[in-house]
Amino acid sequence: MSRKNVRTLVQAASLVLIFLIPFLNRKGITAIAGTLYSLAVGPVWITDPVIGVQTILATMSLDTKLLLSILIPGSVALTWGRVFCSWICPQNMISELFDALAEKTGIKRLFNPVPSPIPRFAVLAVALLATLSLKFPVVSLLSAPGIISVQAANLVYDAAVGAELGLIVMIALFELFIVRRIWCNHVCPVGGFLVLLRFKRTMKVTFSKSEERPCDGCGVCVETCRLGLDPMGKKLYPLCHNCGDCIAACEGVKGSANPLRFTF
Amino acid sequence: MISRPLRPPGAIAERQFLATCIRCGKCAQACPYGAIRLAGIMDGLENMGTPVIRPRKNPCYLCMKCPSVCPSSALKRTLAKKEDVRMGSAEIDKKTCLAWQGTVCRSCYDDCPIFDEAVKMDDKLQPVVDKKKCVGCGICENVCPADPAAVVVYAGDVS
Repeated sequence: MSRKNVRTLVQAASLVLIFLIPFLNRKGITAIAGTLYSLAVGPVWITDPVIGVQTILATMSLDTKLLLSILIPGSVALTWGRVFCSWICPQNMISELFDALAEKTGIKRLFNPVPSPIPRFAVLAVALLATLSLKFPVVSLLSAPGIISVQAANLVYDAAVGAELGLIVMIALFELFIVRRIWCNHVCPVGGFLVLLRFKRTMKVTFSKSEERPCDGCGVCVETCRLGLDPMGKKLYPLCHNCGDCIAACEGVKGSANPLRFTF
Repeated sequence: MISRPLRPPGAIAERQFLATCIRCGKCAQACPYGAIRLAGIMDGLENMGTPVIRPRKNPCYLCMKCPSVCPSSALKRTLAKKEDVRMGSAEIDKKTCLAWQGTVCRSCYDDCPIFDEAVKMDDKLQPVVDKKKCVGCGICENVCPADPAAVVVYAGDVS
C-alpha cells in the first residue's frame, strides 16, 4: 500500500473514531473517552499542547496532570512534526476534501497569496494574549479539530449540533471561494503552536537531488501538495505538516531513486 | 437562557470555572445519565461549550463519574463523596408547593439522595431544605409534580 493510501486510511479511521468514541461512551464503554481537546486512553491522558498552555495562561496556575498530558502529543510533534495535522485532524480532512472539490470543479479563489507562516503566528500570539488578559480560554473556541470532535459527540448524544460548527462551515466556504487552505496555512492556533515544537532533528521533507536521485522537475510533488506548497523550494517549513503525499507522488515517478524523502 | 448555570459536581467557583474549563466535553461523555449537556450559544458566548445540568430535564444522580475525568481541574478531580458535592441548593416556593398548599405530596423528600437530611418534612408534613446538607443535584426539581416546579435548584459558588 502506498504511503498516500495509508494516510487516507488513518484519516478515515480517526474520523470514524470521533463518532465511535462517544457512541461507545454512551453504551458504558469508557476505555477511550474524550475529544480532540483532551483524550483519555485508559489511564493515559493526552491533551492538545496549546490547550494546556492556554489553561496555564487563563488560570495562572499549573495543573500537574494537565501538564503531563501534553507530553505525548508534544513528543510526537518534536519527533515527527505536525503529523497530528496531516494524519488525524478532521479539519485538515475537510479542508483537503474541499480543496480537491475546488480542483475538480475548477473553482478559482478570489485571492492567491503565497502561503506564509507569519499570520498564523500572529493569530496564535493574539489568541494567547487574549486568553491571558480576559482569563478566558480563547484558543478552545478556535480549535477546529476540538470543535469538530465535540460536535460529533453532540450529534451522537443529542442528534443536534452547536453554533460552534458555524466556524467550520465558514472555513469551508472561505477556502472554497476566497483563499485556498487559509485555516491550516494562515490561521489555525493548534497547528501554529505545534510548529513551535520543532527543532533541527524533527522529521522533515528533504529535497536533495543527486546523480543517484535525479530530479527532472516534473512538478508532480507541487501538484500533489494539498497545502499548495512547493516541496522542491526552500521555504517548506514551518508550513509543511509532513503528510508525505509529495514523497509518495515522487516515488510513483522515480521509484526508490526519489529525490524527495523524509529525513530527521 | 440560563442566568447562572448549574455545573457538574466538583465545579470550582464560577469565574475560575469559565477560565479553567477547556470546553472538551469529556464530563458530558462520562455522564451515564446524559444529565451533563454542553451549553449552546444561546447561553452566552462565555458559556458556550461548557457543561451544564438542567435538572427539570435531567438531574444529577451523583454517580460521581465526572469529576475525575476533567483534564483541566475545572472539576475538582478528587471529589468522590456525594455528600461533599455543592452544586447549588434547592429552594422551595411555598406558594406553589403542593404540600405547603395543603395537598399531600412528598416527592422531593422521597427522592432526595441525601435522604431525610437535605430535605426534611416538618411536623405539618411540609418539606423544608437544609441548605447546609443540600448538594444541589436537582432531583427534587426534576420530580416535583407542580408545573413549573415548586422546588428549584440555584447554582451557588463554592470556593
